[in-house]
Amino acid sequence: MKKASLLMVFLFSILLITGCQFGNDQKERSITLYSERHYDTDQVLYDLFEDTYGIKVNVISDEADKLISRLQNEGSDTEADLLMIADAGRLERAKSLDLFQSIESVVLNEQIPESYRDEQGLWFGLTKRARVFVYHPDRVEVSELSTYEDLTHPRWQGRIVTRSASNIYTQSLMASMIAIKGEEEARLWAEGLVANFARDPQGNDRDQAKAVVSGVADLAIMNTYYIGRMLHSTDPYEVEVAQTIRIFFPNQETTGTHVNVSGAGVTKYAKNKEDAIKLLEFLSSEVAQRAFADANFEYPIHPNVVPNELLTSWGTLIAQDIMLSSLGTHSAKATLILNEIGWK
Amino acid sequence: MNLFGIMSFVIGLLILIPMTNLLFVLFVPTNPIWEHIRRYLLLEYIMNTFILVSGVTLISIVIGYLSAYFISKYQFFGRKLLSWMLVLPLAIPSYVAGYVYADMTSYTGSITRLMMTMGFNMQINILSMMGAIFIFSLTLYPYIYLLSLSGLSRQSVTYQENAMLLGASPWKTFWTVTVPLSRPQWVAGTLLVILETLNDYGVVQYYNVRVFSFAIFNAWFSLGDLISAIRLSLYLLFFVFIIIAIEKILRGNKQFSLPVKPKFRRRNGLRGWKAWIVMSFLWIILGSGFIIPVIQLIIYASQTFRTSIDMKLLNATLNSISNAVISAIFVLIFALFLANFARTRHQNIIKKLWIRLSNLGYAIPGAVIAVAVHILFVDLDRLLVPIYRLIGIEQRTLVLTMSAVTLVFAYILRFLSIGFNSIDGQYDRIGSKFTESAYMLGSSKLEALIRIDLPLIYPGMISAFILVFIDVIKELPLTLILRPTNYHALSTLIYVYARDEMIQHAGLASLLLIIISALLIVGLTQYRKGMFKDVYSND
Repeated sequence: MKKASLLMVFLFSILLITGCQFGNDQKERSITLYSERHYDTDQVLYDLFEDTYGIKVNVISDEADKLISRLQNEGSDTEADLLMIADAGRLERAKSLDLFQSIESVVLNEQIPESYRDEQGLWFGLTKRARVFVYHPDRVEVSELSTYEDLTHPRWQGRIVTRSASNIYTQSLMASMIAIKGEEEARLWAEGLVANFARDPQGNDRDQAKAVVSGVADLAIMNTYYIGRMLHSTDPYEVEVAQTIRIFFPNQETTGTHVNVSGAGVTKYAKNKEDAIKLLEFLSSEVAQRAFADANFEYPIHPNVVPNELLTSWGTLIAQDIMLSSLGTHSAKATLILNEIGWK
Repeated sequence: MNLFGIMSFVIGLLILIPMTNLLFVLFVPTNPIWEHIRRYLLLEYIMNTFILVSGVTLISIVIGYLSAYFISKYQFFGRKLLSWMLVLPLAIPSYVAGYVYADMTSYTGSITRLMMTMGFNMQINILSMMGAIFIFSLTLYPYIYLLSLSGLSRQSVTYQENAMLLGASPWKTFWTVTVPLSRPQWVAGTLLVILETLNDYGVVQYYNVRVFSFAIFNAWFSLGDLISAIRLSLYLLFFVFIIIAIEKILRGNKQFSLPVKPKFRRRNGLRGWKAWIVMSFLWIILGSGFIIPVIQLIIYASQTFRTSIDMKLLNATLNSISNAVISAIFVLIFALFLANFARTRHQNIIKKLWIRLSNLGYAIPGAVIAVAVHILFVDLDRLLVPIYRLIGIEQRTLVLTMSAVTLVFAYILRFLSIGFNSIDGQYDRIGSKFTESAYMLGSSKLEALIRIDLPLIYPGMISAFILVFIDVIKELPLTLILRPTNYHALSTLIYVYARDEMIQHAGLASLLLIIISALLIVGLTQYRKGMFKDVYSND
């Protein structure tokens, strides 16, 4: 019996120790950030923010939808002050679930162009990425390339790879097509594209680039930042792949290339609203923008900040002329259509 | 009601209360998204799930049971080494193996390049159904191996000898005596394999194998409909119940321990081509399930270790270990009570159902459990507000929710059935005569448990501890969503890099995770304790 009671005491103390992990930074000024971003360089910026303003940034990172559910459950008791998400469609979803509050900040409105933030200040874009063509120079002439729409032409049959329908980038591209062309035309476009796939969608963005180099396909639709990452990969063979492929910005002479943002909004029940706004202002400021975008080879949102040399070397980018918030409006429909037409 | 009954009741309640947070969807009317899922996706998901689960089950039974059989019945060069090394693939999370193999077979991968230098100009396409079956079988077969081994090595040779005396061929003896007698163990192992496969999201998502768990997350993430996601997981749960029920019916009231005097045979020495076949079989499994991925991870780690070693990694390691130890201890205690409750004489349907329900956690996708547990703790915290104010915590409400307590609770809920099945299986093997004698001689339940049962079921406890420890340390979805702020475990570190398509940077963290789990296995076997005692005793 003695052993058993000792065991109970032991277990109880373990429970207490685990329990004590919380509540140790009560006094210090801090904000809590639920974030989908998780780059090591982000932490450097948060540290700089803490040094400058004396506000510590506590982070929980996970996929957007889980963070959204978590915020919903926590309701008014949440400790999250900011929700940061890497897709405009998801930011809109969080908005429609009433998780954000409207922010009026002259600084933010100056630093962030209108089309990359919510009209009522519920969320603000912080970095941009573009979904572009990647092709093999031996098998594709630049003159063959023009628009997303052109990829449905029969001459592309069996030559295209891209991500699956469950992937958020695919969904947002489709949502932007609906926003620009309307539902019916967007559906036809997606059907035409699927008919030209070289294989059922599989793997991540890097795998699409590899498929182009290995000869499975001639052209891939993928995000700009993965090309940057592959060029800086620790794996020399991946660098070789990235050096082999060429990049093309589609729809430059028509509707513009599909661009998405990662952004953040102040949560409805933020306990540290002012400090949360400060972090948003800091991250979109000229000082932080370059580093924040460079962390992931993205385009800065701040109009005065020049992108990374690599991105500049690809030329200037004309983006789709739509309010990014419209991606959210159409993203659910986009997914439904993708399923219906059999985009795997 | 006795001690075990009361404890089991309480444990069952602890498990079931969060689950009721999921059942509400049964009363919510279906929405257009649900109609959409049913119309366009459900059939494909069911078919694919069936193919995946059948494939994985079949291959891992063959691999797992055969290796256990060879190890326990034959003597050959390297047997001792293999006996514990064959458990090691369990130390590699499926999603890590999935990412590593995908990278190795990709156009720039080491396997593809090796094949090219050898003159084969082809690329293995692992990102497919076959690939997923391969990955799951190789990382999950140790469940069957481990449990079958402890069963087979305890099997008294008397049964086989009698069969032989009655004129049965070795082949027939194997099928009609050996396999059926070790059934509780390999079936329990197979069940674990099936549930793990149904639960995985990392591999199927990356490989774009559209199975049921994929549907659950697709409903939640792509369609933004958590209700439909929960509805789908309830369907999944229903299927799992059917599988378990079929197993129970097939098993019936058969007993797997008979009052025969244990008699262990000397292992037959294997020579010549037979030895070669057995050895290459085992080494190929070990090679592809453990050695090759680990070598690849070492290469990754050597490319990235300069940027990988930091406080974050150290913290993550400590968090992972403490989570695993604490959860495993709790699981053992809970499982012990449940198993004792399960084997008392009075059997009725309510009791059986209660025990089944208490072990429900393993059948539900981790992320869905996370939602249930999170809702529970938010509610609990709201109830506890007066106490928080009393002990001086001002302003904050979500004290427990934002702590690691939530996480540990979720682990226990999720992995209780692993502990239960191991211990229950062990009880099956020893029968109840010793415990009953102790009761007859006037000892209390607790005393009999500590003095009689514990020493007898010790091997089962050890294997339960290892399995739970390894499962917790590998666990991903629960850990991701329920962890406190600024908190990393090894699995979340790995995932963050893998998801970012930077698997190379996950090399060191993956190796650490694997080394910790592997050390546990090695340490236990080297001291010749616990479950491997019998495997070594005849050397």
